[in-house]
This record gives sequence, C-alpha cells and structure tokens, in this order.
Amino acid sequence: MSGANVWTRSRERMKRLPELFAQCGPEATAYGKCVTATTSSKEELRKDLCIREFEALKTCILSAAKKTVK
Amino acid sequence: MSAMVYGGVSQTGSPIGGAMNVFDRNMKRKQKQWAASLEDPDKYEYLKNEVGSRVADRVYDIARTFPLALDVGCGRSHIAEHLSKVGLLFLTDVSESTLIFHVLKPDGVFIGAMVGGETLYELRCSLQLAEIEREGGFSPHVSPYTAVTDLGNILGQVGFNMLTVDIDDIHIHYPGVFEVMSDLQAMGESNCAWNRKSMLHRDTILATAAIYKEMYGCDDGSVPATFEILFMIGWKPHESQAKPARRGSANISFGDLGKINQSPSMDKPKER
Repeated sequence: MSGANVWTRSRERMKRLPELFAQCGPEATAYGKCVTATTSSKEELRKDLCIREFEALKTCILSAAKKTVK
Repeated sequence: MSAMVYGGVSQTGSPIGGAMNVFDRNMKRKQKQWAASLEDPDKYEYLKNEVGSRVADRVYDIARTFPLALDVGCGRSHIAEHLSKVGLLFLTDVSESTLIFHVLKPDGVFIGAMVGGETLYELRCSLQLAEIEREGGFSPHVSPYTAVTDLGNILGQVGFNMLTVDIDDIHIHYPGVFEVMSDLQAMGESNCAWNRKSMLHRDTILATAAIYKEMYGCDDGSVPATFEILFMIGWKPHESQAKPARRGSANISFGDLGKINQSPSMDKPKER
C-alpha cells in the first residue's frame, strides 16, 4: 500500500503508545491491580469489571496524546 | 558418522499425512521473509544467536568429531558460527522432522533446540486477562507449545535412542509489552496458527500493557519475557550403543549402595 492511509496513520498512533503509556503510570497501575485482584479473590473476571479504571487510563492516554500532538 | 543440528524456532515445510495441521506455513514463510527484509534484521537476532551458541555447546560436549553435519532451519547460521569440529556443514532452510531420522546414518546424532513449555507465558496470561475484561472472551494469541514431557515421547516414537532432553530458561527484559510484541514480529515469530484472531484491538493492547506491568513488572520498570528452550539429543540406533539391560539380569542391588566405600567383595586376587 502506498501513501498515507488508515493503516499508516494507525501504525503511527500505535508507535506512540509506549511513550504515552509511560506518562500514565498511576492509572495503569490502578487498572492492573483491579484485574489482577480477581486472580486471587473469589470474584471472577468478567467483561467491564474494571471499566472505571480502564476509562481513566484511556482518558489519560488521550490527553497525553493531545498535549504532544505535532 | 554424521550429526544433524536443528536450530529453527518454528516448524517449516508441509505436514506429512497424519501430522496435525496447526500452523499456516505459507503465512510463516511470509512473516520470515518480511522480517528478513527489515533494515536491521541483526538487531532482533539475539535470541537465535544465544540458542545457536548453546546448541553448538552441546555439539562440543559430544566426544567425537563429525565429518558431515546438516543444519536444518539454519536462519542466519547462528549455530555454524560457533562450530569448528564438524568437517562439512550443509545449511538448509526447510525441515521435515521424521525425515531427519531417515537422513541420519546409524550411530548419527540429532541435536535440536526449540521453544516450548512455558515460553511467553507472561504475554499469554496478560493477553488473556485483558481480552476477558475488555472483550468478554479470549482467543489464543500465543502458539501451543510442546511440553518437555511430550518431547521424549515424540523422539522415542520416531525411533531415536539414548534421548536427552533438557530445558534452558532464558528471561529477556523489555521496556514494556509493546516492545515484546514488536520484537517478536521483527524476529518473524508472529502467530501463524490457523486458529489465530486476525485483530488485536487497541484497547486490549493497552489493557495488556497495564496488566503485564502490574503482574510481572520488575523494580527497574522493565518487564520480563520467558523463553523456555527445549534442547533434545537423540541417536540413530546402532549395535555399538548401550542398550537397557534385560529385566532380571541385575546382580547388585541398590541396597548395596551404602557399602560403596568398603572394598568390594569381588577384588582381584593380589599378585604376589
């Protein structure tokens, strides 16, 4: 595929994820703890169990992306 | 006498009748070719180099020189660069595991290495948890691996003798799960099992990163990835090889082990 298309743009966004992820440490930890808590507790992991923490993480990533947009 | 050295990390070639068709071999070939066409392929060869040198170690451990060896699935000749006690070394790309047995001369040896067992369990578990929480279900993203225990059976069934199987655990640290996955892709080791999902949602990748770090992260901020390398040595049968003794032919019992420091009762009579 030649030229800029949805795949090249998508790949560019993906390449930035590690640096954005590094800026959202606390949110990532909170989400990670929420999910891993189910491995040791009686509660089973199911869809959207930790949606609040995930939305917080995603918001942090999106705002970090906006701050550093070229 | 000849030896065969197999250094591939994934299977290539087409399955012969009766073998399970787990992997899309065409896709694997495309992945390997794409990886080979990258700008800096040597950057991603660290694992294969390490495994190659360990296989070469095992070749040296055998107290014999070989006039002829065949390196199956040699990649960038990760093994050959460490070998010198082999007379002639052929390097090939394709392999067929039971063919290896037939190509060997009697009393020839097959030394192999492959990833197996618990390889990439951190990635597999993190992906699984992330997919359940984000998508409500999960599908396999890491290939099914051979367990150590199965390897002995497989080699024995093919007909190899005097089997040796051992495991080396290699832990490699990465900045995060993104780097783990992109390095695997650049090594040509992307998933190619038929049952693979063709998409990995961005949200799921993000969730995986957070879970991987939380579950397995190290103090310095890196995350480990485990590669369990299974090394196998098998010999093509030959009369000169030691055979298991006939049942009931033992003439010393294990209970006599305690007497091992005393002089044995079967001393040769001292010469005058």
